Amino acid sequence: MAIPEELYPYSGSVNELLARYGVKFGIYKNGVFNEQLFPFDIIPRIIERREFEYLERGLKQRVKALNEFIRDVYSDKKIIADGVIPEDFVYSGSGWLAQCDGVNPPQNIYSHISGIDLVQAKNGEWFILEDNLRIPSGASYPMIARELCRRSAPSVFAENRIEDNRNYAQLLRRTMDYVNTGGLSVILTPGRFNAAYFEHSYFAELTGARLVTCEDLVVEDEHLYFKDYSGKKEQVGAVYRRISDEYLDPVNFNRESLIGVPHVFEIYKKGRVALLNAPGNGAADDKGIYYFVPAMIRYYLHEDPVLNNAPTYLLYYERDMKYVLEHFDSLVIKDVAEAGGYGIIFGDSLSAEKKAEFIDLLKAEPRRFIAQEVIDFKDIDIFDGEAGKRVPRKADFRAFVLMNDEPVVWKSGLTRFSRNPDSFVVNSSQGGGFKDTWVMEE
Amino acid sequence: MSVLSRENCERLFWLGRYSERVYTGLRDFMEKFDAMTGSPSAGEYAKHFCFDSNNPDSVSFSLMRAYDNAIVLRDETGTETFSYIQLAVYEMKNAAKSAAPLLPLQKVIDNIAAFWGMADDRIEDEKVRGIIKLGKRIERVDLYARMNADKEDIRREVRRLSYRIGRAGLSYSTEGLSRINALAECEEIDRAGIVREVEALITFAE
Repeated sequence: MAIPEELYPYSGSVNELLARYGVKFGIYKNGVFNEQLFPFDIIPRIIERREFEYLERGLKQRVKALNEFIRDVYSDKKIIADGVIPEDFVYSGSGWLAQCDGVNPPQNIYSHISGIDLVQAKNGEWFILEDNLRIPSGASYPMIARELCRRSAPSVFAENRIEDNRNYAQLLRRTMDYVNTGGLSVILTPGRFNAAYFEHSYFAELTGARLVTCEDLVVEDEHLYFKDYSGKKEQVGAVYRRISDEYLDPVNFNRESLIGVPHVFEIYKKGRVALLNAPGNGAADDKGIYYFVPAMIRYYLHEDPVLNNAPTYLLYYERDMKYVLEHFDSLVIKDVAEAGGYGIIFGDSLSAEKKAEFIDLLKAEPRRFIAQEVIDFKDIDIFDGEAGKRVPRKADFRAFVLMNDEPVVWKSGLTRFSRNPDSFVVNSSQGGGFKDTWVMEE
Repeated sequence: MSVLSRENCERLFWLGRYSERVYTGLRDFMEKFDAMTGSPSAGEYAKHFCFDSNNPDSVSFSLMRAYDNAIVLRDETGTETFSYIQLAVYEMKNAAKSAAPLLPLQKVIDNIAAFWGMADDRIEDEKVRGIIKLGKRIERVDLYARMNADKEDIRREVRRLSYRIGRAGLSYSTEGLSRINALAECEEIDRAGIVREVEALITFAE
C-alpha cells in the first residue's frame, strides 16, 4: 500500500489532540520530573498481511520458547543440565531472582505481555533486537493515535483495509481474566511520576480494571484485597503490575520500596493471586540471554527460529571475544544491564585512548557486555511539517504478544523513530518520536 | 456503582474544590483586572494573583492542583472529561505569556465549565460524579463566605450544597450542615463561622 498522503495535512491537528488528551511520558532530568509530549509522526509504518503473518509466526514461537525457558530455569533447569546455556549466564544475570525458584504462576504463564523489539534491514529482513518480558510499555500510543487519525481523516480508513487496533484493551482484559484467581483485576502503578503513567491510567479506563497504588491494597488472611473508601475490602485476583520486581514487595525484595505491597509475593507463590508479568522474568530478557533465544527455540520447540537475532557476540566466549577485538570498529557494544537506549557504544565512535580503556573493561567484565553487528536499518519516512516534505529516519518496531491459552500477536504495534537524522537511537527518553503501525488485512 | 479507594474519593473531592476555586477565582480576578486597566500595578497584580504558581492564593496554583488530581483520575472520569482540565492548563500558560491575558483566561473559564458539563454528562458512576459536584459546592460556599459575596448569593449556595450533600455517598456532619443553614439565614451572616463549619463538614474514613 502506498503512503496515504491525505493524512499529511492533519499532522499538526493530531499532535494537538494528543496534547489535549494528555498523551505524555514522564522523564527525570537532573533529578527533576517533567512531563513531555511524545512527538507523533502522521505517516504510519505499513506492514502487508503476508509479511505480518511471517512476523506473527516468529513472535509466537519466540514468546512460547521464552515462557518455557522461564518455567524451566525456575523449576527443572534442564536447559542448563543439558549444556545449552551456561549456568553462570543464568544465575549471574541481574534479572534472575532466587526467590522465584520453584514458583508456579497461575496457568503456568510467566510473560503475559511481551514487547518484542525488531528492526528491518535495508534488504527487508527483520531482526529481533530485544525481548522485553518485564513491564513493556508503549501499546497505548498507537491505540490513541489511531483513534485521532481516524477522526481526522476517516476516508483513509474507510478506503483501506487496515486491521483495527482498538482490540488491545480487550486482549489485555482477557489476559488478566485468564489468570485471575478470583476477584478484581487491578493495574498497580507506582504513581503519576512514573514514565508510563499515561499508559497505566489509559489502560485502566479502557479495560475497566481498577488503577491502584500500593496504598489501596493489603494482604490479609492469605489473600490480596482492595480497600475501598469506607474501609470495605474486596478480593483481588489479578494484578497487572507496572512496578519492577525489585520494588514489588518490600518484605521479599527491596526493603526500602515505598511503592510495593508487603507480602504480595508470598500469596502469589501460594497461587492466591496472579501477577502479570511474573516476577523473575528478567532471567529471560537480559541482553546476554538474548544470545541464546534461538537455541532455546530449538531446544524446547524442536523448530528452527522463524525470526533471527541481530548477529550477536558474547564476550564470555573466547572465540567471540577474539572476533570483537578484531572487528571492534564495525560493532555496537551494549551493556546488558542498561535499557532505554543507554549503555550503547558504537565502536567507531571512540577515540584511540577511549577505545583502549573500553577494551580493558570488556576483558575485565565480559559478562556485562554483548557486541552486535550494526544493522543497516531500513529508513522509513517521517513527515517534516515545517519543510512540508517526507524525510527518512531510523526506526524500530515493538510488537506486543499477549499470552492466554495461546500467544496472540496484536495486529499493530509501536514504531519508534529517531528525530535526529544521524542517530540510530529511537527511545522516547532520548528524544525519539512514534508512529502508528498499520497491518493490512489483504 | 464501582468501588472507589479512599484516596480517589479525596482526589475527586479536591478536583471539585480546586476546579471551583479556579472558576470563581478567575471570574473575580478578571473583574478586578479589568477595573485596573491603565493602573501601573495591574501587571504585578496579575502576576501575583493569577500566574504565580508558587503562590497558594493564585489561580494558577489552584489550576495545577486541579490538574494534579485530574491526571490520576483518568480511569474514573474518562480521557474526554479529563482533557478539559488539560486544555485549561494550556490556556493558562498562554495567558501568562499574553499581553492581553483576559482572552485566553476566558478560555480557561470555558474549559472548566466544559469539564463540569462533561463530568455531568459522561461520568456514569453516580458516586464519582456526586463527589466532584459536592467538592464544587463546598468550595463555592467557602469562597463566597470569604469573598464577602452578597447574602442572597451565599444563601442560594448553601441551599444548593444542602441539596447536593447527601447524594455523594460520603459521611458528613448533619449537625454541621444545620448550623451552616442557620448561620446563612441570620440577618448578619457570620462568614467566618460558615467557613469554619463548611471546612469541617466532610470527613474521610481512615
